[in-house]
Amino acid sequence: MRAPQARPPQARATFRLAAVVALTVTFLSLLGMGLQYRLVENRLMQAQTALLAADLDGFGALYDQRRIIALRQAIDYRAAAATGDELLLLQDRGGTILAGTHPDWPESLPVLGDGFSADAAQVFDEAGQRWLGVARILPGGFPLLVARSLSAMEATLAALRRAILGLTAGMLAAGGVVGWVAARKIMGRITRINALADRVAAGALDARLPGPRAADEFGLLETHVHAMLDRIEALNRATHRLSDSIAHELRTPLNRMAQKLSRLQGQDDLVTDLREEMRKATRVFDALLDISRAEADQGFGGGLMPVDLSTLCAEMAELYEALAEDKGLTLLPEIAGGQQILGDRTLIGQMLANLLDNSVKYCASGDSIHLVLHPTGSTVKLTIRDTGPGLPEDVKFEAFERFTRAERDRAHPGHGLGLALVRAIATRHGARLSTPDVEKGFELQIDWPKLGL
Amino acid sequence: MDPKSKVLIVEDDPQTAADVAAITEGLGCIPAIRTTLADGIAEANGDYAVIVFDRMLPGGDSIDAIAKLRAAGSTALILVLSALGRAVNRVEGLEKGADDYLAKPFEPDELRARLRALLRRATMQVLDNDLMAFGDLEIRLKARTVHIGRAHVAISPREFDLITFMARNAGQVVTRMQLLEQVWNLHFDPGTNVVDVHVGRLRRKLEDVAGRPVIQTARGEGYVFAPLPAAEA
Repeated sequence: MRAPQARPPQARATFRLAAVVALTVTFLSLLGMGLQYRLVENRLMQAQTALLAADLDGFGALYDQRRIIALRQAIDYRAAAATGDELLLLQDRGGTILAGTHPDWPESLPVLGDGFSADAAQVFDEAGQRWLGVARILPGGFPLLVARSLSAMEATLAALRRAILGLTAGMLAAGGVVGWVAARKIMGRITRINALADRVAAGALDARLPGPRAADEFGLLETHVHAMLDRIEALNRATHRLSDSIAHELRTPLNRMAQKLSRLQGQDDLVTDLREEMRKATRVFDALLDISRAEADQGFGGGLMPVDLSTLCAEMAELYEALAEDKGLTLLPEIAGGQQILGDRTLIGQMLANLLDNSVKYCASGDSIHLVLHPTGSTVKLTIRDTGPGLPEDVKFEAFERFTRAERDRAHPGHGLGLALVRAIATRHGARLSTPDVEKGFELQIDWPKLGL
Repeated sequence: MDPKSKVLIVEDDPQTAADVAAITEGLGCIPAIRTTLADGIAEANGDYAVIVFDRMLPGGDSIDAIAKLRAAGSTALILVLSALGRAVNRVEGLEKGADDYLAKPFEPDELRARLRALLRRATMQVLDNDLMAFGDLEIRLKARTVHIGRAHVAISPREFDLITFMARNAGQVVTRMQLLEQVWNLHFDPGTNVVDVHVGRLRRKLEDVAGRPVIQTARGEGYVFAPLPAAEA
């Protein structure tokens, strides 16, 4: 009965699944690559530090031999080579440069300690590059700076980062595509089962999935669904067969009795009474079968057709209007035109007949009965309201159960199935039934789902 | 209704078949009885005016065979007489092409009235006539008016439908159930005789203008539309 609107949720589920797969794979790889990157960075730094230490050892050896002079010569010699990946600077006490590859002492580089150890090497920026180096004050107040350029190492790391970035993007894309395809495949198979459920809900109880079933979980699911549907179908058929058989077995002998009754002569009153009793018995029996059938078909769209509820209400009001008037009651229909619902005209007619009949039966001369039909948002609201005695307290809560009869109403003819049938028919149509508290009389509201919603 | 109309009874319960046969004979028809669906369908090609079909027959459900019978060219009118008597069953039968549907247990008078209506339909010439006249009572179908002599009888649309259905079966009993089905298109027993009140009103209106009874009550059965004074009829 519900319009199959599986598309948006299914697409969302597919997307979610694809996204989860792609993101998870990418995240894990990113983690792995990040660790590797750290490792490479550390190793390169260690290598640079080792080189720096070797340089410093060299300078230290020279200093040990001939002090500042030797250092100055060595630095001059190295500066002349101008490899660009070294920063060497030697100053005198007054800050004058004795030798070096650069003209100035880098700002923001504090001088730490003396001696030629590579401990506590600092990283600093100078001349647009990053350097790893140490600044020392040699005995006698000669500041010495020895540093190695980190740009080669950084170029390597940058290349590594670019590779990781490219790889990540590629993995996201590939993961997305693979995830999407896999999810589509899974969703496709779930959609197949959903479509089957939709068809069954729409009334095709014999609908099954065509083709062979795969030997996996989905195949198993399809097998289970099929088995359940087979069982429902068999039960449904058995129920129908049973009620048909009961009808046949009960009504055929009743019919023989009816025919024999017509041969009785001279006891007309008795014959009329007996006929009336038989009619009542068949009515109770039919009502019971109608109730169980309507309950079995609950929420099942099969067999329902567009019904003009306005016309039907007007017709039923017209049918009972004369009866009400004869009893001194006023039946007031207020019916909005053109209200269409999906329903079974005969069942709704029976329901209205039951309700109107009850109102006429229990109301006394001077009372009024309102039959109101009007649209409210997504439903069509049918209200029947009378100024009669209302539901007696002792049955208020089980008035809609089968065979509920109030002590008060023992004198009235009836079998206590009327309101049970009303409820079963409402449920059959997916309509909501409510009895608002009223000060006086009886009120029943039924909200029918509008056609096309 | 002569030459005598033939009525085919397809029914597997011997007593019911005999009872139905007796009723059709009472109406001046010649009954033939078959007890299975296959025999019934085979026999339906004969020149029958009406076929009375049971539903749960040996061989299947007869309402599924109605379309086949019609396709084979049978013009017989079909009355389904079945123990499947709930409103849904009746509507199903009528939707599948039955001309009338009566539930068991049935009262002989009810079956008689329905058979008569069908036989009349089977033998009646289709009159392209706007006017139904019964002495001084005239029903104009297109204008939907009723006149008695020169006087117009003010009736509601539903009462007009009532009087036209009764007029089509003038002189014969029409039952309450027939009226509920034919005039209100309702196929369930509402328990209370809602129809009586409507017929009562119509009857009073007609009687007030005509000065004589026009609709009579057939005790326990229904109503008879008898618009002509006894002397003329």
